[in-house]
Amino acid sequence: MTEVAIQVDNVSKQFAGLRAVDSVSLSIPRGERRVLLGPNGAGKTTLFHCISGTHQPTGGRIVMFGKNISGVSENGRTALGMGRTFQISNVCTDLTVMENLLLGMLGTTSRKWSMFWPVTADASLLQRAKTALERVGLQGREDEEVKYLSYGERRQLELALALSSNPRVLLLDEPCAGLSPSERQHFSKLVSNLSREITLLMIEHDIDVALALADKVTVLHRGKLIFDGLPDEVQKNADVKEVYFGRL
Amino acid sequence: MNIRVIGIAVLAAVLALVPSVASEYWVGLLTQILIFGLLALSADLLLGHAGLFSLCHAAFFAVSAYTVAILQTRYGVTTIPAALAGLGAGTLLAAIFASAVRTRGVYFILITLAFGYIVWGVAHRWASFTGGDNGVTNVPPLTLAGVQIATKAHYYYFVLIVLALALALYRILTTSPFGLALRGIKSSETRMRSLGYRVGAHLYVAFVISGFYASLAGVLYIYFNRFVNPVAAGFPYSVEAILMAIIGGTGTILGPFIGSGIILILRNWVSGFFHYYTAVLGLIFIATVLWAPNGVMGLIKSLRSGNRGEGA
Repeated sequence: MTEVAIQVDNVSKQFAGLRAVDSVSLSIPRGERRVLLGPNGAGKTTLFHCISGTHQPTGGRIVMFGKNISGVSENGRTALGMGRTFQISNVCTDLTVMENLLLGMLGTTSRKWSMFWPVTADASLLQRAKTALERVGLQGREDEEVKYLSYGERRQLELALALSSNPRVLLLDEPCAGLSPSERQHFSKLVSNLSREITLLMIEHDIDVALALADKVTVLHRGKLIFDGLPDEVQKNADVKEVYFGRL
Repeated sequence: MNIRVIGIAVLAAVLALVPSVASEYWVGLLTQILIFGLLALSADLLLGHAGLFSLCHAAFFAVSAYTVAILQTRYGVTTIPAALAGLGAGTLLAAIFASAVRTRGVYFILITLAFGYIVWGVAHRWASFTGGDNGVTNVPPLTLAGVQIATKAHYYYFVLIVLALALALYRILTTSPFGLALRGIKSSETRMRSLGYRVGAHLYVAFVISGFYASLAGVLYIYFNRFVNPVAAGFPYSVEAILMAIIGGTGTILGPFIGSGIILILRNWVSGFFHYYTAVLGLIFIATVLWAPNGVMGLIKSLRSGNRGEGA
């Protein structure tokens, strides 16, 4: 049996009167590409936040590569090999593209504490950053301040940032939200070209993008897991149909 | 040679020539401008780089000045150990007050304000130790290796040399990975967390370093002023440090010194013939916020780059 990258064990998240995630369990083998589907308010992003450590679940546990990471902080999970992008683009807009990426590459090393050398003095670090930017199609934009980037370019930068710590598990929260159709195509190509070594968990509303990328699909509805299976099966599943189209 | 190197060389040459052309009054005022500029720069490490608005930097400044003054006048400690103790005391206090980084925004401002008042209250009320309102007087002049640096011009040169070293280190610090991380935190804390940064720890260390720079300003101040009273720990000094940084331009090295120059010249010179100089200061601050939110340095930058959508 292949190694399990992410194991979500009976995880719940209660916000005051709302049970946003309700006893969800799922298991993602190493290298798999899993897409989380579900209508608005299904608890997808909340589950994501529980996995990334942004939220502390009110019940259950999260296991990554056999290690219980439920008590590990968000930055600690990054150090253990988790990378993520945000639903609403979240990059350091006051800094340049290059500076963002340098922060990403230094974030999981102890060199982020160095105070006695200028960050631009490390030629090999700059070279690696350049290569990483080329990989997501941002070459030539190194010295641009991020606030002057288009939304699509910020998405590309976010992906580069998430990859900059060489994660084993990558969480993508609606990476194509807000992109134009041509940008979507470009972006989903970037994602499908990622190394198969990286276990991928993504939320995506665009069904075409989602089904093209997914090895397996998980559907949430009102905090509960209602489907877990292959992309071909999801469109035939009665429960899923009911959630999206009502009772027929 | 790039323009920055030439600029620094010209500035250094001009500053070095000041005592030979200016009167003692102006040399003394310029020394003060440099010392308070350093205090403003220390507060700006938090404001301009990490995005934290501190109102307690006069506390570190005053504690270090008081430490030197008391050790020298009452216990006969010589300059170097007294100065080191001053730096140590101010920085230690900063290490305690740095717990404020657990809060953000208006709560951070309020808690640092409260911290500042604690130190002012102690300086003011604990008269048997701090001398109360009279403070500590008759601090001997700076003495290094048996040589007294007693004239205004000589002390001015001493301050220049210390500043050159301190600013070189500050420049490296702010361009280092650590400094870059502070600017990242100012821009997006959540992103920095998910990149693997312990945001609280970074801010804590930045606060302590900032307190060290404020303490250094305090040591330079006590050997310039030769006495210290609770005014040095007061709320107005903390606010002025922040105002200096904002008027001159936050996140820069020169900005806080420009702001310090503007405010101190107004206070010391304009007040001689115009009673309402604080009103002028208020107008300058309003004008800065409205038309030059990035201060004098921001104005220069946008003029040089031909107004490319800079501003707020």
